[in-house]
Amino acid sequence: MSDVTRRQVLATAATGALALGRPAVLRAQSKEPIHIGTLCPLTGAGGSYGPDMQKAIVAVAERINKAGGIYGRPLVLFHEDDQTNPEAAVRAARKLIDVNKVVSMCSTWASAVTLAVKPVAVEGKVFYLSVSGADAVTEGNHGGYVARTQPNTRLQAQVYAKWVLTRKEVKRVAYMALQTPYAAPFGEMFSGVLKTGGLTISDTLIYEDKKPSYRSEVTRVLATNPDLIMLSCYTPDGTVMAKELYRAGYKGAVLGPAFAVNAKFVEGAGAEVAEGIWAIDPAPSFDAPAYKQFAAAVPQADKNPYAAQSWDHMTLIGLALVAGKGEASGTVIKDNLRTVSNPPGTVVTSWEEGAKLLREGKKINYEGASGSCDFDAQGDILSRPFGAYQVRKGKIEQVSIINP
Amino acid sequence: MSAQYLFNGIVTGGILALPAVAFSLLWKLLRFPNFAVSAYLTVGAFAALTANRGLGWPLASAWLGALAVTALVAWLVDRVTFRPMRARRPFSLAIASIGVTFVLENVIRFVWGNDFRAYDVPVTRAMTWAGLRIGREQLDILGVAVALMLLAQIFLTRTRLGIAMRATADNPPLATVKGVPTERVIGLATLGGGALAGGAGVFLGLDTSIDPLLGAGLIISVFAAAILGGIGSAPGALAGALIVGIVEEVGTLVIPPTYKSAIGFFIILVVLLVRPTGLAGART
Repeated sequence: MSDVTRRQVLATAATGALALGRPAVLRAQSKEPIHIGTLCPLTGAGGSYGPDMQKAIVAVAERINKAGGIYGRPLVLFHEDDQTNPEAAVRAARKLIDVNKVVSMCSTWASAVTLAVKPVAVEGKVFYLSVSGADAVTEGNHGGYVARTQPNTRLQAQVYAKWVLTRKEVKRVAYMALQTPYAAPFGEMFSGVLKTGGLTISDTLIYEDKKPSYRSEVTRVLATNPDLIMLSCYTPDGTVMAKELYRAGYKGAVLGPAFAVNAKFVEGAGAEVAEGIWAIDPAPSFDAPAYKQFAAAVPQADKNPYAAQSWDHMTLIGLALVAGKGEASGTVIKDNLRTVSNPPGTVVTSWEEGAKLLREGKKINYEGASGSCDFDAQGDILSRPFGAYQVRKGKIEQVSIINP
Repeated sequence: MSAQYLFNGIVTGGILALPAVAFSLLWKLLRFPNFAVSAYLTVGAFAALTANRGLGWPLASAWLGALAVTALVAWLVDRVTFRPMRARRPFSLAIASIGVTFVLENVIRFVWGNDFRAYDVPVTRAMTWAGLRIGREQLDILGVAVALMLLAQIFLTRTRLGIAMRATADNPPLATVKGVPTERVIGLATLGGGALAGGAGVFLGLDTSIDPLLGAGLIISVFAAAILGGIGSAPGALAGALIVGIVEEVGTLVIPPTYKSAIGFFIILVVLLVRPTGLAGART
């Protein structure tokens, strides 16, 4: 006994540990979880949308795990709040990538947040999906690691303009926009389409946020006698502008983005001021089978145009992982995104359906809850249905669906 | 048409005048630019919001309540932060006042959240008079602002305390020697300045919307008005505020409205280069 040295004891213990540990390591290779990060706006300006977006992602991940995961590998989600704040979002993204070793992240909301997280994701070779609209989100060389399900500014501006052209009573249109990265490009595209359609752009005015008054801005625009004012705003400045237009006695039409003209807007401006204001936004595919599954799985989310996109994000990531035969990395997902989302292939509307066909070696084309989810080479979606809404008696009512 | 811009500018100037006078007098009296005035505006707006939405007070009583609450907050801030620092250089105090602004803003954010809100008052259509569009709220705001300015001026020139205040502002050691209770005068000025700023905050919230950054958006224009008017002069600050308001509004005819804030900076620069003592200041 006494000739057993401490070193021998340690060596024996180490060998034993290795021997015990080894089978566990081998076993883990087939069942090792795949880490995915959620980065939704749970607080801040996007706070009314983020919680349901996260719920949609969780719902899809649970379904995938219940159906046996990706070739037996379960998905593990790590949740972070992007706070609708670029700086907080970048910190959260770094934690997801460096500490949690996620292979993919979804779904940021604000364009400024997405633009800040984008280089972090690309550098970490993590596949990254968002619901942000600014053109810059997919611009530049990002190696395919970035894609989004929200139409870009160009597509959105065209849809707004085409809707205006259907209103026969409108002859003169003024464009008023809050100073944002997309204010000018949106205005150019919007005005261009309207001019081609024979309308007059009576004034174009980009205003500054947080000024004590917008009286003179409104005076200038109203002096040009518009029948319709396109108000590219966020909710806070939009309510101030709407009040000012009302005070000034403007009786024509106002059109804004539905992400700004929401229940909060009506509350802030007052039902009387908000009455009759039009709003347009990308809408989910209400009739699509995937949408019905989404609506059943995430209650109360039917009023939220972004949760359906998050549902599609998680489904697409899950399908791309299956197409990658269970090998998990951001590169595998981005290489297989278009294989599972774009034609040609059998149309599928859920992960289960798609995963089954993929395992049989067939080609698939996912049609999602938010739209057809077909991506171009740059990561932009090719088309999307839009919804037109109007404030009627203090409620926001859907008036029509626009298919561009 | 341009008369409309002029009127718009006068109303904006009326709102600017109250915090500008407070800012200017406190600067002269305490010898540092107290940027916390921007937070006092926000405090006033939220105090009235709580009274109006929370307690169901009509806006006029809520406005009076906001005057009292903001005056008290300003006095507390002075007691806790600025009073122990009285002997320091103006620069340190100015930095401290920026710190106070952040603290107050974040307290408001913590209690009321980041969302914007509005008072429970109906929005009314403006009336038209001689081709001018005049809003009811705008008239009310202008009327109350003018009345408050008159009161402040009468207080400063006709009452013992007001004269003591001006004496302290002009020459603190001499005033002390002559038996002016300096700290009491400062306390009173702080209460008055806080009330003026708080009242203006309610006007601003009524005219636009209420959120924790309400005052921060205005402070450059207030600063410009005070400098233009000449530090320490109430009529000067009023004139400065009117000029800044009018130039900002009429300026939208000539330069894009995106540069509205730049007008404030531009005025500050020009005044400092051409006439550093401001409109009311004596030539040296």
